[in-house]
Amino acid sequence: MINDTLSMMLFVGLIISFVILGFFIWGAKNGQFDDSEKMMGGLLFDSEEDLNDAIKKEEKKKEIKVVKKEQKKSESLS
Amino acid sequence: MSNVKCDHCHLVFDESVMINENKLNFCCKGCQGVYHLLQDDGLDSFYDKLGNKTISPPLEVQDDTNRFDTKSFENTFTSINKNGFKQIDLIIEGIHCAACVWLNEKVLYSTDGIISADINFTNNKAKIIWDEDKIKLSQIILKIRSIGYNAYAYDASVADEQAAQSKRDYFIRMMVAVFASVNVMMLGVAKYTGFFTGIEDEIKHYIHVAEFIFTTPVLFYSGWIFFKGAYFGLKNRILNMDFLVSSGATLTYIYSLYVMFGGKGESYFDSVTMIITFVLVGKYLEVIGKKSAIDTLDKIKSSIPLEATIIEDGIKKTIALNNIKIGNIVEIRSGEKVCIDGIILSGEGSFDESSLTGESIPIFKKIGDTLFSGTINNDALIRYKVTKTYKDSTLNSIVTLLEDSLSSKPEIEYRANEISKGFTLTILGLSLLTFIVWYFFGIDLGFDYEGVNHFEKSFIVSISVIVIACPCALALATPIASLIGISQLAKKGLLFKEAKFIEILAKADILVMDKTGTITKGELKVKKSNILDDNIHKLNLLYSLLEASSHPISKSVKKYLKEEYKNLEIKNIIDVKNIQAKGMIAKYKNIDGNSFDLIGGNMELLKQNNINYEFNSANSIYIFAINKKIIASFELADEIKEDAPELIKDAFKNGLEVIMLTGDNEAVAKKIADEVGINKFVSNIDPIGKANYIKKLKEEGKIVVMAGDGINDSVALANADVSVAMGNSADITISVSDIVLLNNSLSSLQYAFKLSRRTYKFIKQNLLISLVYNMVTIPLAMAGLVIPLVAAASMSLSSLLVVANSLRIKLKND
Repeated sequence: MINDTLSMMLFVGLIISFVILGFFIWGAKNGQFDDSEKMMGGLLFDSEEDLNDAIKKEEKKKEIKVVKKEQKKSESLS
Repeated sequence: MSNVKCDHCHLVFDESVMINENKLNFCCKGCQGVYHLLQDDGLDSFYDKLGNKTISPPLEVQDDTNRFDTKSFENTFTSINKNGFKQIDLIIEGIHCAACVWLNEKVLYSTDGIISADINFTNNKAKIIWDEDKIKLSQIILKIRSIGYNAYAYDASVADEQAAQSKRDYFIRMMVAVFASVNVMMLGVAKYTGFFTGIEDEIKHYIHVAEFIFTTPVLFYSGWIFFKGAYFGLKNRILNMDFLVSSGATLTYIYSLYVMFGGKGESYFDSVTMIITFVLVGKYLEVIGKKSAIDTLDKIKSSIPLEATIIEDGIKKTIALNNIKIGNIVEIRSGEKVCIDGIILSGEGSFDESSLTGESIPIFKKIGDTLFSGTINNDALIRYKVTKTYKDSTLNSIVTLLEDSLSSKPEIEYRANEISKGFTLTILGLSLLTFIVWYFFGIDLGFDYEGVNHFEKSFIVSISVIVIACPCALALATPIASLIGISQLAKKGLLFKEAKFIEILAKADILVMDKTGTITKGELKVKKSNILDDNIHKLNLLYSLLEASSHPISKSVKKYLKEEYKNLEIKNIIDVKNIQAKGMIAKYKNIDGNSFDLIGGNMELLKQNNINYEFNSANSIYIFAINKKIIASFELADEIKEDAPELIKDAFKNGLEVIMLTGDNEAVAKKIADEVGINKFVSNIDPIGKANYIKKLKEEGKIVVMAGDGINDSVALANADVSVAMGNSADITISVSDIVLLNNSLSSLQYAFKLSRRTYKFIKQNLLISLVYNMVTIPLAMAGLVIPLVAAASMSLSSLLVVANSLRIKLKND
């Protein structure tokens, strides 16, 4: 019984740690750790305004991508 | 009077010089402007983020934004990304803190048309992507300038891209390895406790499985680079360190798998992760060093012109150098660099050819004379006809020559590699020997496991030989010591492009030095003055005449005069005439209406004006006369750097041979050589001659270090075993050199030698430590006397010993 519990805990722990590792690799691949000094400094800017800005940045990138694609489509059609 | 802080840049100045405005203080108009702009745009939280840190006040920059929108600029620096947007790489000047990065990114992001702006704080590089239908590049640059920063475009080299890529790649691999080793170590605590207190086989099996899950990605993902390195080594018939690491780790892994699937004994998964992690950390440190060297070089290079102004049908155009055709007319202003060969059509002036010839005194060129690329226009507006394309121009043909000699540069065999070759074979041999002896001769010593048959026991013992002879310490020995050495050197303004140059520098036999700009300062200075009449009125006239000229000799004499006499005034001299390459003449009328003829220049100018004056000197001469009467004469010469004699003395003390090479004549060379204490020099030598001289030395089996600064040295630098460039060198020279002295001082070169020797000493010590360590432990392992716990612990211990020993490099830091 106790062995089963132990093995379960080990299994769950493994899964959690690999999920965290996955998040870490995802961040690293996105270039979040490319600039160690900026990362450390950026941690301090965590006011509501700053966080909103960060979201706006992401949205701006996405939005324009879509707009440009549509533009291209309409250009090629005409 | 009291000191106040500027409200924008936070620099402290005296109250009297500050601009006051409603309780606010600014040190300059620039700061004031930026402050109000930030307030108006609601970006004042910048100052909260800045805290007490200071930044540099905004610079006054000339209006040159038009050039950012030219076709040639676009072709050279910008590219189109996959979504159809424009993209450029910039270096932003003036970034000091995280708040600066925040401000720039915020302003750029809030600008309509800019899609992304990623600024790297560590190296100040920025990648900006924008929509060219909405905003022009010049407007983006203006935006950056308006908030007090400046931006330069740089050509993001392939090397830079690759270094950034491999840094990220190594980082992820290393972090996976670190993550796994930490977890495996925690599982190891349970396992080893069980070793002493007893543990159920079932629990032990769970631990083995968990360790297996953590270890597998480490070996095959993180450790992939070692397999790759071993493969390339084998292909070239070399048994390298990578082979030892990968074969050791794989054998241990296979053995541990066998244990996990019901075999007896202990698994060594923890050793596998530790081997890979330790060695990978060492490799990552090397990658970081390389990347930061590239970043520093990009900053130096961002100022190189890649375009020129041409005149076509009377209109000025800026076009890329590659697009200039033979017959085009190019205009260069004073201070600009000639980028392409040609013949002067209009204008005349002096040219600094020091980077090509090593000659420090400018050469006068007039209509019809040939201009060479790489030289600098000192003082005139010149238009010239292009006679060669950019590809065939002097500068570029030297570059081609360089590339040829760089590709044929032989690699020196490094000590660590030599040792690893022998070590790898020995360990694998010993392991095999152990197995044979145990299995075939029936030896049975050491531990006793229940139910272990003879074959298994022999196998366990032979594997433990490999585990205990873990190559970590050996593999770490060189990188960790080099890295500490290089970071120490970087603090003193020495940039090593790769770690291996430490070893070569430490082993060097000969130091070859260029004269102009390396041993000497490369600028003229008054050596001797003979002022026959020190009437201040007369000296004022001399001062005024000097003021009217921008020739280097006039400038040096002026500087000297200013230091000697404090109260000099500029008089209103008239009819100033520049007699090119000779000097200047002018007239002066005093209040009484008397007229004076002023002459200042060299001997030829005196002769031309029928003044008899005997003067013989190897130096350059400047003579000043009023109404044909000599007032003063000056002798000018290139001055040696103050720290040159010290470096040479130190080099001799350490058994280095020092040779000076120069394109100058023998008399000048002898004088400088005597001054600094060099007894061997070669004069009248051209760039190719220099390179051949280095080749000859190398053929004699010597290890040659070459220090130089000009384009004329670059071919020789490329041929040397280690090349050292001054930080103010021509850009080509910097790019072919292995070491760059950012502060141009020879005492830092002396320090480089010293610290390289010290670091090399520690590398050898480290290698010795790991070898001695192995000599003690391997026989024990072969005898089967090492229990798994000791094997795993001792492996980390040897690595720690090496790291701790390397840290001692920092201790004596004088």
